[in-house]
Amino acid sequence: MTASLVAQVAIGGLLMGLVYALVAAGLSLIFGLMDVVNFAHGELLMLAMYAVFEIHAAFGLDPLLQLPLVAALLFGIGVAIYRLLIARALGVRFNTGMVQIFVTFGLSIFLVGAAQLAFGSDFRSIDNGVLSGRTVHLGQIVLPLPQVAAGLVCLLAFAALMAISRTEFGQALEATREDRDAVALIGIDRDRIFSLGWGIGAATVGIAGVMLANFYYISPTVGSNFALIAYVTVALGGFGSLAGALVAGLLIGLVEALTALFIDPSLKQVGVFAIYVAVLMFRPRGLFGRL
Amino acid sequence: MIGFGRKLLLGAALLGMAGGFAPRQAQAAPPDILIGAVYPLSGNAAPIGHDAQQALETEAAIINGHHDVPMLLGKGGGLPGLGGAHVKLIFADSQNNPQIAQSEAQRLITQDHVVAIIGSYTSATAVTISQICNRYRVPYISAENSAPSLSKQGLTWFFRPSPTDNDFTKAMFDFYAAIGKKTGRPVHSVAIIHENSVFGTDSARIQTAMAKAAGIKVLTDISYQASTPSLSVEAERLRAANADVVMPSSYTSDAILMVHAMHDAGYTPKAIMAQDAGFIDPAFIKAVGPLAEGVMSRSSFSIDAVKTRPAIPAVDALFKAHDNGKELNDLTAREVTALQVLADALNRAKSTKNTALRAALRTTDIPGAETIMPWVGIKFDKTGQNIEGNPVILQYQHGQWRTVFPFAVATAPAIWNVGK
Amino acid sequence: MATSPRPNAITRRRTRELVVGAALLVVLALLPLPIAGTYLRGLMVLTLLYAGLAQGWNILGGYCGQISLGHALYFGIGAYTSTLLYTRLGIPPTLGLFAGAALGALAALAVGWPCFRLSGHYYAIATLVVGLMVLLLVQNWGFVNAAMGITIPFRTESWVQLQFRVAVLPFYYVMLGYAAIAWIVAWVVEGSRWGYIWRAVKDDVAAARSLAVRVFPSKMAAAAISGAIVGAGGALYAQYVGFIDPDSVLGLSLSVLIALPAVVGGVGTLWGPLLGAAVLIPVQQLSVAWLGSSGNGVDLMIYGALIMGLALARPQGLVSLFGVRSQAGGEVVDDA
Repeated sequence: MTASLVAQVAIGGLLMGLVYALVAAGLSLIFGLMDVVNFAHGELLMLAMYAVFEIHAAFGLDPLLQLPLVAALLFGIGVAIYRLLIARALGVRFNTGMVQIFVTFGLSIFLVGAAQLAFGSDFRSIDNGVLSGRTVHLGQIVLPLPQVAAGLVCLLAFAALMAISRTEFGQALEATREDRDAVALIGIDRDRIFSLGWGIGAATVGIAGVMLANFYYISPTVGSNFALIAYVTVALGGFGSLAGALVAGLLIGLVEALTALFIDPSLKQVGVFAIYVAVLMFRPRGLFGRL
Repeated sequence: MIGFGRKLLLGAALLGMAGGFAPRQAQAAPPDILIGAVYPLSGNAAPIGHDAQQALETEAAIINGHHDVPMLLGKGGGLPGLGGAHVKLIFADSQNNPQIAQSEAQRLITQDHVVAIIGSYTSATAVTISQICNRYRVPYISAENSAPSLSKQGLTWFFRPSPTDNDFTKAMFDFYAAIGKKTGRPVHSVAIIHENSVFGTDSARIQTAMAKAAGIKVLTDISYQASTPSLSVEAERLRAANADVVMPSSYTSDAILMVHAMHDAGYTPKAIMAQDAGFIDPAFIKAVGPLAEGVMSRSSFSIDAVKTRPAIPAVDALFKAHDNGKELNDLTAREVTALQVLADALNRAKSTKNTALRAALRTTDIPGAETIMPWVGIKFDKTGQNIEGNPVILQYQHGQWRTVFPFAVATAPAIWNVGK
Repeated sequence: MATSPRPNAITRRRTRELVVGAALLVVLALLPLPIAGTYLRGLMVLTLLYAGLAQGWNILGGYCGQISLGHALYFGIGAYTSTLLYTRLGIPPTLGLFAGAALGALAALAVGWPCFRLSGHYYAIATLVVGLMVLLLVQNWGFVNAAMGITIPFRTESWVQLQFRVAVLPFYYVMLGYAAIAWIVAWVVEGSRWGYIWRAVKDDVAAARSLAVRVFPSKMAAAAISGAIVGAGGALYAQYVGFIDPDSVLGLSLSVLIALPAVVGGVGTLWGPLLGAAVLIPVQQLSVAWLGSSGNGVDLMIYGALIMGLALARPQGLVSLFGVRSQAGGEVVDDA
């Protein structure tokens, strides 16, 4: 096992970790804002990937150029989900926590079925985008361009999210998170903030979906492959923390890759889960969670 | 949506053809013979289940209609032994879950009174369906389950026309020996990579044993989790091992990911010998495009064996009409054949009674030329396993699958880069 | 046993519940007799199994308020324990199911010990992750046949070995017994001191602590009872289906299936799990039977929409249709 192999695997793991982090960021944002874990998060990713595929098939528009389009589309879907389902789920008088878990869970089953109906159950993939099949050489290390691009775009998206959190809107978000009821007194429309939060959360997943569609296959059940890691990422980083999602995503990508290399590929998630459980022993609210 | 509408229309047409809408008593024709089929029609394996559905409907259309296909029961017009009765399929969704497969099989048997059940793609569902069929004394025709353990359950209502993973893996190693002798560039080492559920684990176990027996080194045996987000490390490990042949056992999604990951790692294996499944799925070819060039797979079907199997073009054309232009492959061809075998037994039994049907299945003796398969024939041993089904090795060359082994039935020489 | 501001009303209610329960048991015992169809009887077997499982989940998730998404772990442990004892050592599953229940309880304690320190969603995700970790390990564990699973061959018609060739009726009564015992356990604990502690814990941890209630041990007790009931259910499932593999008895979707009837029926209520199972399991199985063969995903859409609709329309569960409210609210509606 050469040093360059280890370096290559580690860098590949970190790049994948950036994708995990961005998928998790949307989840974390929504949670931080309103204490809702979206169990249909993976399905939003799936919808974004299908959107990329269908637009690419119909208009030949390269996935990279679709970034703003799909992000906007997912923003709309996020707002719609909030208005149609989540606002109602938050409004129930009983078992709010339980209701929101199972509403989003029901939504995920529904979306998988709807995707199967609309797009069929065959595996699809995009193999003629501008990034497809290209590689980047760094000395002895060979990296696939789609993954490198995905990593860079995810970093940019993170920077954008951080910037948003500094704006007036970001401060309104923060205030709403701190005290949901008090913000109404200072003239912040809670409902509007929440739906914008869902929109941004979904758009974030949309961006991750576009970049994934460049190198990953697409099917109605593809979301679940990433959703699980996203939940672990969020819990490891700390619910509601953007920095936590980024650090945890990178950590998970790295641990996963190194477990696969040094121990056994079929146990790579066990490695990730073990780290997660170990961290929870010492920090029950994750690496960056507020205690 | 358009495709869905078309399927509905087609389904309605087929039902109409089978007399499904007409009250049975009012017709002079004998009642339809109901046959159950349990496949995963939702979830990850749904594409395979969907294709299976179309393959079985294609064969039902051949038996019932008038397509005049040059093979056993290809003339059409129903089953002559049962007064021209038509066969009618009833499908059930296993959701790839053993418990649901069981209860759906039970429903088909006790409510719809099907005479037999065909299934089921995945091994876990085959276990529960074959067990329940045995309890109800209804034949189970395993179309494409390839786990050898299925015929060792001691079931007396189990019939499998298809070869098992033992036969398939043996064919791979026979091929290595033969091509080594022919080219002077034998296989010295293999790298096994398999998904970690039943199919992959069982397959890898057999491959390891046979490699040992053949004196071939197994440089690495990588087990990975199915539907994983990434296979790049696995690809790196394969590259590091750099074996003569990479032997994957994977379902479609992972097969797509794996081939891309090897390409991204800058690794082109000297040879890939796949355990069928994902690698021969048309969706795989579509997704990886030119990267599929040179991939070899064991198979029980060769689409290009038209000289010795004249029925293939007609069946393939009919299947294409059913399934959005998809070509027949190893799975769908075996599904067509499974229904053919069952229909032949019904025809000879001249009865739908379970014991008569089983007796007829046991005396099945179909020469290979009467089917679309490159097999010697179909004849069951005591465990219900076909003893005349010999696998072939295919290679994807210039955009199509060609038969490269056994040499006697090969339609193209193998492109062999090992030892170069 | 009961100590409460309105002891008489509560005692009366609990007695009535027992009477209703007994009457329902008689009805359910007679129900399959006029229904000859094997498939429908099979459907009822599954419904009762899930009613029992959800009742078990409800003790931890409902009464105690710890939303677990990892109960498949205890189910799988029960299934593997009794199956291994039966196929390897010939110990009949009627005994093996107690071993399965015991190990299920132990596993629940082992998971609870570190995880009860976590709150809310952290707890839910942690149980989910621990469950998946075990799934992955079992998939690679040769001793239990790894991913290949274990087949339970049919040997002989026997009540002791819980093997019946084609008859579904015996299994119906086995599962009815299981669901009934799970119900009785829930009834007993609901009225016990533990039951009160759990409700206090769920309502307000700080208050419960200030009442010098030892929160942690009471949660551990809930976990053990819950794990035992679900573990026993796993053993029965294995015997009913005759085949287990890691995916089908330890998978994530199973964890959700175990919890769903309780959530839809009414968390923290005595009748919720039963009612939820009676609605959800038939809908799920029948939508597979009627719509699944089209393979177009409509069955999933209906199932998903039903879960969303029920959760939103009846957040306190279907039991609210009958005037029963979750006892988590403290106030018990007396409709008499």
